[in-house]
Amino acid sequence: MNTKQKEIDIANEYVVSPVRMKFDKFIIPTVTIFIGLLLAFFMLFPLWSILTMSFFKGGEFSLINFTLENFQKYFTTSYTLNALWHSLYVSSVTTFIVTVIIFFFAYAMTRTTISGKAFFRNIIMMPLIAPSIVQALALIYLFGRNGLITAHLLHTDWNIYGSTGIIVSEVLYCLPHAFVILYTTLSAVDIRLDEAAESLGATPFKVFTRITLPSAKYGIFSAAALTFNLTITDFGNPVVIGADYNVLATEIYSQVTNLYRFDLGATISIILLVPSLMAFMFNYYISRKTFSMISGAAKPVIPPSRPLKKVLYKTYCSLVSLSIILVFLTVVVGSFVKIWPYDWSLTFQHYHFPSIGGYSAIWTSLWISLIVGIVGAFLTLIAGYVMETRKPYFKQLIYLLSVMPAAIPGLVMGLGYILAFNKPYYIFYGTPWIIVINVVICNFTLGILSSISNLRNIDPSIEEASISLGGDAIRTFFKIILPLSKVAFFQNFTYFFMRSMTTISAVVFLVSATVHLAAIEIIMLDNDGWTASANAMCTSIIVIVMAMLGILQLVQKKMAKRPLEL
Amino acid sequence: MKNLGLLVICVLISMFFVTGTAVAKSDVVVYTSLENEEVVDYLELAKKDLPDLNIQAIRLSTGELGARMLAEKDNPQADCIWGWAVTNTAEFIPKGMLVPYKPKGWEKIPDNFKDPDGYWTAIDLYAAAFVVNNKVMEKDGLPMPKGWSDLINPAYEGKLIMPNPASSGTGFLQIASLLVMLDPDYKNKPVENNNAWDFLKKLDKNMGQYIKSGSKPAKLTAAGEYAIGCSFAFVYASLKKKGFPVSMILPEEGVGFELEVNSLLKGARNEEEAKKFLDWAISTSAMKNYAKFKLGVAYPGIPGPESLPALDTIKLAPMDFPWQSANRAKILDVWSELFLH
Repeated sequence: MNTKQKEIDIANEYVVSPVRMKFDKFIIPTVTIFIGLLLAFFMLFPLWSILTMSFFKGGEFSLINFTLENFQKYFTTSYTLNALWHSLYVSSVTTFIVTVIIFFFAYAMTRTTISGKAFFRNIIMMPLIAPSIVQALALIYLFGRNGLITAHLLHTDWNIYGSTGIIVSEVLYCLPHAFVILYTTLSAVDIRLDEAAESLGATPFKVFTRITLPSAKYGIFSAAALTFNLTITDFGNPVVIGADYNVLATEIYSQVTNLYRFDLGATISIILLVPSLMAFMFNYYISRKTFSMISGAAKPVIPPSRPLKKVLYKTYCSLVSLSIILVFLTVVVGSFVKIWPYDWSLTFQHYHFPSIGGYSAIWTSLWISLIVGIVGAFLTLIAGYVMETRKPYFKQLIYLLSVMPAAIPGLVMGLGYILAFNKPYYIFYGTPWIIVINVVICNFTLGILSSISNLRNIDPSIEEASISLGGDAIRTFFKIILPLSKVAFFQNFTYFFMRSMTTISAVVFLVSATVHLAAIEIIMLDNDGWTASANAMCTSIIVIVMAMLGILQLVQKKMAKRPLEL
Repeated sequence: MKNLGLLVICVLISMFFVTGTAVAKSDVVVYTSLENEEVVDYLELAKKDLPDLNIQAIRLSTGELGARMLAEKDNPQADCIWGWAVTNTAEFIPKGMLVPYKPKGWEKIPDNFKDPDGYWTAIDLYAAAFVVNNKVMEKDGLPMPKGWSDLINPAYEGKLIMPNPASSGTGFLQIASLLVMLDPDYKNKPVENNNAWDFLKKLDKNMGQYIKSGSKPAKLTAAGEYAIGCSFAFVYASLKKKGFPVSMILPEEGVGFELEVNSLLKGARNEEEAKKFLDWAISTSAMKNYAKFKLGVAYPGIPGPESLPALDTIKLAPMDFPWQSANRAKILDVWSELFLH
C-alpha cells in the first residue's frame, strides 16, 4: 500500500504537464534571445560607436558627415603610421620566438621521458596569474639602465627599453597561451607514426621534419596566430617598457588621453582591429582542422628517450622555466627590498601604497573578480547549454557573436564603452557594473568554448532521460547539466576570476573615482616612478590569485570525493 | 546543490557591497592631478576638517584627466577639479564645462592666482626644475648645467630625460616656457615657426627618453638611470629627504611654472558638497598643508618647504597662460610630429 502510494506519487510528479511543455518551448528562445541581445548591446554597439567615431565627423552617423579625414591624418603622420609598423614588427618577431620555444617545450612534455614534467607544466602556466605588466617590471629591474644585470654585473650601457624590451616581455607573457595549444596538439597526434618511421630506418632528424612537424602543423599555426593576436593587442607591457617606441595599443591611449583626439583613437582602433581580426579568423579556421586531426587511437605511452636527448631537453626546459621564475622572483623580491639594487635590506615600506587607491583597490578588484567569475561562469554555461544541446534557431549567429570577443582588443572595447555608454541614461556607467560587464564580455569566447566542449562530453542520453521523464528545460539544466558541469563551471569561474584580477587594457578607460582597480594602480604607480610599490601591488595580485586557485583546488577535490547527487 | 546556495549567497553579499559603495550619502567626487604623494597627505587633513563628506578622489595625469572630463562631458562623473593645470582648465571654459564659483576666502587670493569671473581659483604654483644625480655626474665627469642652453652640450648625449608634454603638465609648461622665452615675437607668428623649435631639435639629440609623467624624470634620475631629469621642484625636495644623491637646478633663463587650480564642474551631482570641498581647498589650514610640498601657495606669507628656495628669490619665466591655453593643441601637434618617431 505504502509503496504503491509512493509509486503513484512519483508517477504524478513526472507527468508532463501541458503548461510546463509550453513554458519549455518559451524559455529556450527567450534565453537565446537574451544572450544574443546581451552580446549585441555590450559588444556590437560599442564597436559601432568606434566605427562612427572614426568615419563620421563628430561621431554623428549621417551621409553628409562621412569623412576619411582621420584615416588620411593617420597615414600621413609619420609617428602614428610608425606605430603600425612597430606593432607588426614586434608581434611577428614575438610570434616566431614563442612558437619555436614552445614547440620544443611541448615536445619535451609529450614525446620525451624526462622527469619533472609536472613541475615544468606548472611553471610555464605561471604568467597567467599575473597582470601582463609583470614581465616588463621585472625586465626593467634586471636589464634597465640601472638594472641589476646590465649596470651592476656587466657594467654595460646597453638597456632593454624599446622594441627589445617589448619583444622579450611579450614572449614571456605569451608562453602559457601557446603552450596549451601545442601541448594539446602534440598529445593528441598519434605517436605510433613516429615509431613506425623510426623502425623503417628514418633518421631522428628525418622523423622530426617529415612526421612530427607536419602532424603538428595546425597546432603550430594556431599557437602562432594566438600569440600574434595577444601581442598586438597587449597594452601593459609596451606602456611600461616601450619608452618612446610606440605601438598601436599605446598610440590609441595617448591619442585619446594626451591629445583628446577620440576620433583618431577610434581610427587607430579600427586599424588595430584589422590584423587582430585576421589572426583570429586564421586561428578559428585552423583550430577546426586541428580537432578533426585528433585521432581516437592516439597512444599515450612514450618509448624511453635516449639519455643525451633527455639531458638536452631537460636543460632546455629548465632554462625556459628559470626565466619565468626569475621574472616572478624579481618582482616579489623587488617589492621587499629598500632600494633596488643599492640597498638590499628588507622592508614593508613599499606596501604602504602612495596612492589614493591603495588597499581599497585590491579589495575592489577582489570582489569585482568574484562577481565576474560567477556571472561569467553561469552565463557561458547557460549559453553553451542552450546552443549545444537545445540547438535553437540562429545558433550559428549566436555562436559567431560569442566567439567574436576574442578578436577585439581590450583597449578597443574599453574605448567603445566610453563612447557608447557615457550617457546619463546608462546608469551603470561609472559604477563597478560596467567593469563586470566589460570583463565578462571581453573573455566570453574562451568561457563558452570550454563550456561547449564540456557539454559535448556529457552523454546526451542522460539529458534525454530527464526530458522523457518529464523534466523541463530549467529542471534539466539545474538537476542534470549543472551538477555534471561542476568541474567546467569551476574552471570557467577560475578563468574569469583570473582575467578580471589581471586585465589592464580592457578596464584602463573604465576605472573611476569610485572604482579603483589593483591592476590599473600598478600602471599608475609605475607611471609616477613608484616602481617598488608597483611591484608590491603586483605581488599582492599574484598572492590573491594563487590563494583563490588553492581554494578552488580544495573545493574540487572535495567535490570529486562526494558521489554525484542528482 | 549546497554549493549553488553558497554561490548565491556570495553574489548577494557582493551586490550589497557594490550598491553600498556606490550610493553612500554626502559623496563628493574630486578629480585631481596633484601628485599622489601630496593627495594622500592632503586628503587625510580634508577628512578631519570635513567629517561629514565622503571624498572620493581619482588622481590621473593632467592629460588623462582632461580626456576623461571631455569624454564625460554629457554625463559628468565628477563634481569638481582640484589642483589641475590652469592651461588645461582655461580650455574648458569656452566649452561650457565649468561653472563660476567663488569659494569662501576668495577675496584673500591675489588677483594673478584667480579668474576674475570665478571659473578657477589657484591653490599654488609649481615650478619646473632640473634634478641632477650627483653620483652619475661625478662618474661620467659631466659639467653642472646652469640653464636650458647648457643642456645641448654633446657631453650629455642620451643622459637627459624629460616628460612628454602631451601627457604631462610639467612637460607642457617646460615647452611653453621655452616658446615664450626664446622667441620674443611668439604672439605674432604661427606656432610652428617659433624659434624655440630649433633649440628643442638640438636638445632632442641629447634626450634619452620623453616619458609620460612629470615626476618620473626626477625619480629615474635619482635611481641612477639618467644624469639630469627635467622635472619640478617639489619632487626634488621629496627625493632629497629620502636620501638620494640629488641636487636641484633652476634654469637661469627663467623658471617655467604652472598654476594648479580648482573649479566647479557643470552638471555636478553633488554641487553643495563640492562647494564645501572647494571652500576647504583654499582654507588656511589646507594652504599650510600644501606649503609642506609646494614652492609657492596662493595665500601670501606662507613659507614653502625648507629644502626649496623662497619664491621671491626665483627668476620666474614670463608665462603667457591665455596664449598657451589657446594654442595647446597646436603646440602638441608640432611637438609630436617633430619628436615622436
